[in-house]
Amino acid sequence: MTQEAGPTALRSSPVPIRGRIGQLRDRASGRHSPLRRLDWTLQLCVIALSVIGALLVWSATRQRLDEAGGDPQTFLKRHLLNLAIGLVLGAVATVVDYRVLRAYAPFVYLGSLVGLVAVLVLGSTINGAHSWIVLPAGFQLQPSEFAKVALVVGAAMILGEKGENRNTGIRRSAPGHGDVLLVLGLTVVPIGLIMLQPDFGTVMVLVFTILGMLAISGAPRRWVLGLVLCGVLFGGAILEFHLLQPYQEARLTSFASGNKASSGTGYNVSQAMIAIANGGFTGRGLLHGQQTQGQFVPEQQTDFVFSVAGEELGYLGAGGIVVLLGVVLWRALSIGFDSQDSFGALIATGVVCWFTFQSFVNIGMCLGIMPVTGLPLPFLSYGGSSMFANMIAVGLLQNVRLRSRSDPYAM
Amino acid sequence: MNDRMRIRVLLLRVLVLSLLVTLGARLWVLQILDGDHYRQVAETNRVREVVTPATRGMILDDRGQPLVRNRTSLVISVNRSTTDRQPDHGRAVLARLASVIGSPADDLTKRIRFCAAQIKPPCWNGSPYQPVPVAKDVSPQQALAVIEHPDRFPGVSADLQAVREYPHGSLAAHELGYLAPVTQDQLDKQGDEKGYHLNSLIGVAGLENTYDDELRGTDGVERLEVDRFGRVAGTASTTAPVSGDHLVLNLDLDVQQAAEQALQDTINSLGGGARTASAVVLNVRTGGVVAMASLPSYDPSVFVGGVSEQDYRALSDPANGIPLLSRAYQGSGAAGSTFKAVSTAVAMQNLGAKPDQKFPCSQTLQIGDQTFHNFDGESAGPITLHQALVISCDVIFDQFAYDAWLADGGLRNGRGPYAPPEEYFARMAEAMGFGKATGIDLPGETKGSVVDRAGAKAIWEELKDSYCRRAKNGYPEEPDPTKAERFRKYAAEACVDGYLYNGGAAAQFAIGQGQYLAVSPLQLASAYAAIANGGTLWKPTLAKAAVSPDGKVVRTYPPTKTGTLPVSQDVLAYLRDGLHGVASEPGGTATGVFADWPNDQIPIAAKTGTAEVEGKGDTSWFASFAPANNPQFAVVVTIPDSGQGAQYAGPVVKRIYQAIYGIGQQAAMPGGKPPAALPRINADGTIAASPAVGALTPAAPTSPGAPITATPASTITTATTPTVAALGSGAATPVSAVATSPRVMPPVSTSPMATSPTAGALAPSRAPP
Repeated sequence: MTQEAGPTALRSSPVPIRGRIGQLRDRASGRHSPLRRLDWTLQLCVIALSVIGALLVWSATRQRLDEAGGDPQTFLKRHLLNLAIGLVLGAVATVVDYRVLRAYAPFVYLGSLVGLVAVLVLGSTINGAHSWIVLPAGFQLQPSEFAKVALVVGAAMILGEKGENRNTGIRRSAPGHGDVLLVLGLTVVPIGLIMLQPDFGTVMVLVFTILGMLAISGAPRRWVLGLVLCGVLFGGAILEFHLLQPYQEARLTSFASGNKASSGTGYNVSQAMIAIANGGFTGRGLLHGQQTQGQFVPEQQTDFVFSVAGEELGYLGAGGIVVLLGVVLWRALSIGFDSQDSFGALIATGVVCWFTFQSFVNIGMCLGIMPVTGLPLPFLSYGGSSMFANMIAVGLLQNVRLRSRSDPYAM
Repeated sequence: MNDRMRIRVLLLRVLVLSLLVTLGARLWVLQILDGDHYRQVAETNRVREVVTPATRGMILDDRGQPLVRNRTSLVISVNRSTTDRQPDHGRAVLARLASVIGSPADDLTKRIRFCAAQIKPPCWNGSPYQPVPVAKDVSPQQALAVIEHPDRFPGVSADLQAVREYPHGSLAAHELGYLAPVTQDQLDKQGDEKGYHLNSLIGVAGLENTYDDELRGTDGVERLEVDRFGRVAGTASTTAPVSGDHLVLNLDLDVQQAAEQALQDTINSLGGGARTASAVVLNVRTGGVVAMASLPSYDPSVFVGGVSEQDYRALSDPANGIPLLSRAYQGSGAAGSTFKAVSTAVAMQNLGAKPDQKFPCSQTLQIGDQTFHNFDGESAGPITLHQALVISCDVIFDQFAYDAWLADGGLRNGRGPYAPPEEYFARMAEAMGFGKATGIDLPGETKGSVVDRAGAKAIWEELKDSYCRRAKNGYPEEPDPTKAERFRKYAAEACVDGYLYNGGAAAQFAIGQGQYLAVSPLQLASAYAAIANGGTLWKPTLAKAAVSPDGKVVRTYPPTKTGTLPVSQDVLAYLRDGLHGVASEPGGTATGVFADWPNDQIPIAAKTGTAEVEGKGDTSWFASFAPANNPQFAVVVTIPDSGQGAQYAGPVVKRIYQAIYGIGQQAAMPGGKPPAALPRINADGTIAASPAVGALTPAAPTSPGAPITATPASTITTATTPTVAALGSGAATPVSAVATSPRVMPPVSTSPMATSPTAGALAPSRAPP
């Protein structure tokens, strides 16, 4: 926190008389403009992933749409539209100072709870989960995706609140028992609501995200270890007492038993693995994967979109996607590392935990090393809510970055 | 943010990195290391094979007359992948179809259901994507009714399919064999190598089996790329079917017909029933099988389209004489006096008997406590071996064998030590091809048996427990108490000293009797052919050549030498002369049979045999070759449970020669020569019979010369595109037991002729008096 004098220096320097527009233009294009100070590596990687996702989604759906007499480019266009909307939402999340955001965090959190309750009342059931609110014009809203953002912000607020104050210079102390309890309380409510849908995958994302944030925040170790233990016991209990929906249990047990049945959940995975292996090193070429174009892999534009990459783009392409995701996560962690306060660092941590868990489980599922959980692959899977939530999360990362300590011109 | 937190973020970074590396590694394993395996799975996942079966080659006789050919059959099939999608699962369509083809709708429903553990035929055990044939040989009107109304019969098709046809019914059935659907096991093990497909028909018996690779051809395969829903997206590759080669045989249709007819007439005259009979005609100069017949026979067309369990059971039922079993090469028994030709060779070659040396043909011969009688109980005084053959004197040969047995140490139950036994009779029998397979190009040939001292001991080791059990428990299942007691006594003796080589049985060996010898008619014919041709054992061969559908000779099957008789030419000549005497000299046992035979033109050499079989009538044997001075053919006929050789088998042999040489009828082999040239098969698939070679009577209007128009193979190829979709990943249930058991031949020991030591264990064929 040695260079915190930077912005002050900027503000106190004599500013030549210019028009207001000119000022704005300078701010936008100048050496110290916020635009320049964005993490462009992160942003370009995210956009690249989303565009690749758009192509994969297109490849996965055009045949079927064509056969149905629809516009084969429908999903391509929608994915790009989702990306555009997501970028706007991300920009908003970037522009609002996250320290201001902190003040609104309770409202964001409450808003997400309203969405989760609404989906239980108004929602539609897709693939066994009551997770979607169907909007006009063919759009759907999945409030649980936004709950991820809300929970990350909320938890970061509580765990980072005790943090240092730049003005007082008080060093932050680790969160205490009260903070941990509060975070757990805040987490349990959305988890409970999502369980009612039920959307086991999203619950797991939230659990791991909160666990990660607690661990990074320096919360008492016994809490972290205790929670892990609870998770294990809970998981055992779920299977023992059949608390899951039968289809969910089937997914887990079919994974555990290595069952590559020709139908049901094992079918999805084995078809995905066949498709991916069929790609070989260089892939079959976009739009030329026989398994993909033959629509052997169910849900191949959403949960199993990685199988399209595997078959059509091969090891080069699919590995490239993993590398791009790695760069995104790397940059996000750098942002957290460089953050000037714990709140920013915890937001970055939460987003990383969220993205990492979702990416690993999703790709691992396509590769047959993770159970089928119905989680989208960030940026690549088709889905508006997921894309928006992801882009907001990226916007938050940029927000933290713009105001990070290593940036001498942070606002 | 403090430094400890930074450290934790760094740790998180390591965790994230390791997870991503895990994904990358797993991706490498899946796409690069295990890629081939999965790509193969992907292939079967994605590619459906539509198989156009190749037209199977015909089997032609030596002149090109088809013995097995193909005909087209109109077949109505139901494609379940279409009917199942109809709202009522095709019930209405099946009902309409039932009224068209005139069978109950319920029957159709059963035929198209999928076979399972609980669902037995009629049911469909092929792939669900493949049309299920529900009616064969429908009329063109019925087929048209279906084809012209696709709206009323969605999912129903009528195609021409090629099916095997046997223009001469049961003729040579045991040699031709039959087809059966490929089994899952064969598909798994040989499917790729042999090009089998689901629903392929493969030869499982006879020549259809031996030459399956030549006859089958290569199926045409169109590989269609389909999506998850089975919709065709494109064609990956197409190969046209290649018709199988035709097989030209040494077998002659006319001789075969004559042999079967003569056997059948004899059986009918004996009272029919489950009687069996067989005949073998060999070309002594090549081993070519000119005819081989066994009765009862069967029409192989019962196997077309799958044999019913009931039919199959009837064909393997001993009460019907087990029609599936060929007595000519799959059954064996005592050869009777026909074996004296072998014994004469031993006496002269190994035991020092001279051509004009005389031996006493006394009334009886005492060996131990057994008394052997001459067949007709008469004494003929001292005679030469030539005469012994002519009048078939038993005692002389018994004496030779008994003396040889004594020279080998007799029972060898004394102190010893003994020199290695010579066992001249067993050695000569083996050298003449007995006790081992002749190597004929047919599956399931019997080896017969020649039991020497070591063999007897080995058999006893195996059976002594059962002998001893029988000695204790007797034969309660035997209704005749005196017989049961006799068996029990025999078992009791065998239990104690069954390993001893029995002197009586060794003596009986020389006259083709007793438990140490069992021969098949084919083996006997092969041995006589070797005696006739100067000592060469040829492998009996049915196939002469494989000819491609467009007439090119793909492969010939030249004569294969399997051995040389260890007998000098002098002895062989003496033998031939003696055997000629049997059919020509006064007192010869076969002279009566050939009394009206033109012996000066076509001298016959022959030997009669009358083998005694426990509990049955005698087996009538007749072994021969002709012409005796320049042999061309060897003919052997066996009729179990009939009577003397000259009385039953002899006349059949004579009728076969009459057919061959055209005595009182058209000659099947003009000039007594098998055709040398192969029949010409024209490129259009028609067959021009080969011209007669060296015909003595060129004017004879025999069948050769006139081209025989067989069902043109090319016509079948074009007319038949039975689009049988055999897909790679179909769930194939095991085919029913009946259809799958290839080459189910009842063990030879169950055959009525079998008197092998194994069979004798529980029911001794010849218990000591």
